[in-house]
Amino acid sequence: MSLEDIIQETKTFYCLDCGKCTGLCPVSRYNPAYSPRVMLENALFGFQDDLTYNHDLFSCLTCYACSSKCPGDVDYPLFIQKARALALDAGQHGDCAHSGTVQSLARLMSNPGVSQNRLEWLSDGLRISTQSDTMFFVGCAPYFEHIFDFDSGAIDAVKASLKILNHCGIEPVVLPNERCCGHDMLWTGDVETFRRLAEHNAAIIKEAGVKKIIFSCPEGYRTFKEDYPKYVDIDCELQHISEFLADRIAENGLDFSEVKRKVTYHDPCRLGRHLGIYEQPRKVIAALPGIELVEMEHNKEESLCCGTSAFVNCDSCSKQIRVDRLLEAKATGADTLITSCPKCQIHFRCAMTNKGEEKGPDVEIEVMDLVNLVANALGDGHNE
Amino acid sequence: MSEFEPSILCFACNWCSYAAADIAGTSRIHYPPNVRLLRVMCSGMVDAEYVMKALEAGFDGVMVAGCHIGDCHYISGNIKAQEMVTRLKKLLHILGLEDERLMLKWIATSEGPIFAETIKEYVEQLKKLGPSPFRKELVT
Amino acid sequence: MGGNITAEALDRDERRIGVYICHCGLNIADTVDVEAVANYAGTLNSVAVARDYRFMCSDPGQDLIKNDIKELNLNRVVVASCSPRMHEPTFRKACEAASLNPYLFEMANIREDCSWVHDDREVATQKAKALVRAAVARVYYNDPLEIKEIPFNPDTLVVGGGIAGIQAALEIADSEHKVYLVERDPSIGGHMIQLDKTFPTLDCSQCILTPKMAAVGAHPYIELLSYSEVEEVSGFVGAFKVKVRKKARYVDEDKCTGCGLCQEKCPWTADSEYDVGLSKRKAIYTPFAQAIPNVPVIDRDSCAYFLKGKCRACEKFCETGAIDFEQVDQFIELEVGAIILATGYDAFDPSTISQYGYGIYDNVITGLQFERLSAATGPTGGEIRLKDGRKPESVAIIHCVGSRDQNYHEYCSRVCCMYGLKVAHIVKDKTNADVYEMYIDMRCFGEGYEEFYKRVSEEGVNFIRGKVAKVTDKAVSEEEEGKLVVICEDTLLGSIIRVPVDMVVLCIALEARSDAEEVARKFIISRRADGFFLERHVKLDPVATPSDGVLIAGCCQGPKDIPDTVVQASAAAARVLAMISKGRVTLEASVSHVNEDLCIGCGRCEELCEFHAPKVGIYEKPMPVSRVNEALCKGCGACAVACPTGAISIKHFKPEQILAMVDALAET
Repeated sequence: MSLEDIIQETKTFYCLDCGKCTGLCPVSRYNPAYSPRVMLENALFGFQDDLTYNHDLFSCLTCYACSSKCPGDVDYPLFIQKARALALDAGQHGDCAHSGTVQSLARLMSNPGVSQNRLEWLSDGLRISTQSDTMFFVGCAPYFEHIFDFDSGAIDAVKASLKILNHCGIEPVVLPNERCCGHDMLWTGDVETFRRLAEHNAAIIKEAGVKKIIFSCPEGYRTFKEDYPKYVDIDCELQHISEFLADRIAENGLDFSEVKRKVTYHDPCRLGRHLGIYEQPRKVIAALPGIELVEMEHNKEESLCCGTSAFVNCDSCSKQIRVDRLLEAKATGADTLITSCPKCQIHFRCAMTNKGEEKGPDVEIEVMDLVNLVANALGDGHNE
Repeated sequence: MSEFEPSILCFACNWCSYAAADIAGTSRIHYPPNVRLLRVMCSGMVDAEYVMKALEAGFDGVMVAGCHIGDCHYISGNIKAQEMVTRLKKLLHILGLEDERLMLKWIATSEGPIFAETIKEYVEQLKKLGPSPFRKELVT
Repeated sequence: MGGNITAEALDRDERRIGVYICHCGLNIADTVDVEAVANYAGTLNSVAVARDYRFMCSDPGQDLIKNDIKELNLNRVVVASCSPRMHEPTFRKACEAASLNPYLFEMANIREDCSWVHDDREVATQKAKALVRAAVARVYYNDPLEIKEIPFNPDTLVVGGGIAGIQAALEIADSEHKVYLVERDPSIGGHMIQLDKTFPTLDCSQCILTPKMAAVGAHPYIELLSYSEVEEVSGFVGAFKVKVRKKARYVDEDKCTGCGLCQEKCPWTADSEYDVGLSKRKAIYTPFAQAIPNVPVIDRDSCAYFLKGKCRACEKFCETGAIDFEQVDQFIELEVGAIILATGYDAFDPSTISQYGYGIYDNVITGLQFERLSAATGPTGGEIRLKDGRKPESVAIIHCVGSRDQNYHEYCSRVCCMYGLKVAHIVKDKTNADVYEMYIDMRCFGEGYEEFYKRVSEEGVNFIRGKVAKVTDKAVSEEEEGKLVVICEDTLLGSIIRVPVDMVVLCIALEARSDAEEVARKFIISRRADGFFLERHVKLDPVATPSDGVLIAGCCQGPKDIPDTVVQASAAAARVLAMISKGRVTLEASVSHVNEDLCIGCGRCEELCEFHAPKVGIYEKPMPVSRVNEALCKGCGACAVACPTGAISIKHFKPEQILAMVDALAET
């Protein structure tokens, strides 16, 4: 795709050069050299090298804080996604965090010869089947368990999700050779790897014959819902587990034990601004007896990104965004920060891992996935 | 059909294993040509990224060779290498990769014959395993 | 323009690489088609010239490089020849001579790694091409590095006042450079001052050591800090900062005349350390008569004033008012350029081998205790006596107690055979008792050692080859009554023998100091599995350590005899003098570098660095970030691996350089 095509597809030519995007951008706030407006301007002037060789091209969080308020309705995150593919062709890539492990794994996983051992975390208490109409998409959690030097919590969220589904009488299909959804590949410009991953997943899902797929990871959900249709055919109903839970609670309620917590909810960008799901997670929290939900200064449409996306260009600016968000959470007086995205949880927990003598501001707060909060309230305390 | 010849990348610590390979050379101890040495200053310098990129590039086996525990030129770099390899092996296991494809080995400067022997054995081991599932020619 | 344009975008395609393939006579050319490799190298990206030559390391070979750098405007050089461990310095110098930064040079090892270990010409040529391809790919990303120098502080710290520390301190001080000698005991002298005679010449140990001790005490360039310990070490070669704790002596060194009256009048006693428990010393004491400094200390654990609140007899009798019960530990900050560790050894405690009866039978003693019995300054005035005062009629000397034993120490302690022979000689000489040496192997390797063995053999000593199984007082015959019975297999006869003796001397092992681990951590050096300090190279760098400027000498590096200790101490002193003479230190250029924009200040680097190089702090940015003290960094790369964001890279070992090699080596 040429720069001209990108401009067409993302409606960049509608840019009014008003700078609202830069004003709203969380990255620009700490990295004054970075301006979405200037990025678009360079593209419109045809300065392709200034775009593709700009290190900050990979700093955009693709959080949609800009585009959601853009008077020209320019799809800036999509512009970034496509421009990164151009940059990759020129041999440029961002700085991959955590030794580029996430990216390497996705590329290796896209290989047809791969036969994974990705379900070893399954324990006796959790029931899956091969016959169900419903599938649960596990995502990268089994890998996350071993990538970081802190507890990512990702696999616990997967277990909690299965526990919830089992509790609701669903024994879902969980595929043993499911691949990474490809979200991070797509958003860092590696379209080819993304396409291969999507094709694998589409094929095995078709073979499994399921009618509905439930996700606990908003990135997988968004990718299946918005991006897969451009490459593959997934003929299934797709649902985030917060939507599933909200429906269940509305239909016939769920029997929860008391939860003595004061919590605040962090909207993940993929679930919130990307897909407009703000109310369902809050409804689920509200259904828990004894819980108190307090909102942060920035919430729902105005929510702030957790600070990192696609494990690329995680930097001092990204840390500042995370620290600010955690301080905002602490300022509510909540004892727990709830989110419904494994990546948000990882990035927050990472920001709290400070091993030097100089630790910066105190950002310690318990961070928990919504599914763990719910699963813990479902009785047997499996995940407590 | 010619026999499968595995390719091996060996990250070798300057202070021990690389020197051991030199000793193997000076002593004219022959070993299979399947291995490519990449000299690093310490096995603890080998990032998981390098190993994964080597697998992506199509090497059938990757070896990280450092000093025996207690002999590290930088005190504990080899222990850090061990931690990296242990963690990475878990990931590669989930990915369905055979454990042998990543090997950690301590070889001291004086152990030139052991270096040569290690390479011989590793080549045999990888021949039995066959090509890596990530080999380029398999990717379409 | 928004954003920072990557460096690569600015200087793409400006590399001009020269590649040189060495024949090494026939060493390479016999197996590798060097011409084909050179032709191939010429086709590689950014290669401006590729040549092959008979001997690249020769002067004409080096001139080839120098001329091409100038005439062809090369800005990167690759030589494919032998191991970089061999000639990398040679070619780096050649580049430097032609005004090319030496870090823009790269070497491909096609001899040790290729021509010498493969014989198929086609295969070896293929491999050589791959190695050259990788070196070219790497050098593309090499950066010029700045070589920094700092001035070298000519003052030296020597830790430990045994013979090793004394020797090193004197050699440096004699060149009129300041030495701080820190000794943890009240006097210098170490283990050597406890010995009676030294093998094989039978020199009196004290007679040869005390002049050196006195020289230390009086030397204008030595500042002796006795009864002191190193608390903290920071800094780096050329500029160490050391904090020393000067323990309270409770005696004012300036006022004390060393008259000894306090010791005479003190009514309280404890076991003498110097006599290894064979005699008593006072609560206020100098460990021995010729102590340097000749200033006593009060041992709080046996002093009635400190234990019960009254006495102060010493204070009453001291004519100069030197006793000071209010004294407290003092801390002294030193700045030195180099440090010599000469912290010695601990004597193995044989009571852990219970079958030898040490601590159970009165007349089972260690070799070190025998030294005190035999010495004229010892508790018996040099008479060899049993506990009850009788002269022994028979003595067994058991070798390898705690040495060459998988259950204790696997290593040979190197001195026991010889001191066992010396003990035998002295016993024979002084008592004419029957002497039995129970040994596994006699190891008499030093100058005059074998001759001494022969001499002792001829004196009528009985040598029994066999490791002693047991020492017991259970008699099974009349002649064993009242004796210690040494049971062992005489392996030369193949029969079990029981030897009744009056005295058993255990040739105990030398082992690493019990606090060696703590000391190693303090000075950032490594230890071997056996606990002794690890030298930088076992053969070629025996007194240096991984920490530049920290040297080791004597038994802290491993068991050794006095001559070897003195040699090592002199070697360490020579190394220090060489550094002083140069006057400046070249810092490692291939060190860790933090990209502060990428750093999230998580402190993983700070936590894991063995050399305390990275430090998280609030510098120019509002958030904490890590900075590396380049003088402390050794370039090991552990921090870069641990860095979660990729903010840290090692100069000359950047990911781009390594990954370029990985890809180039993978190509077929």
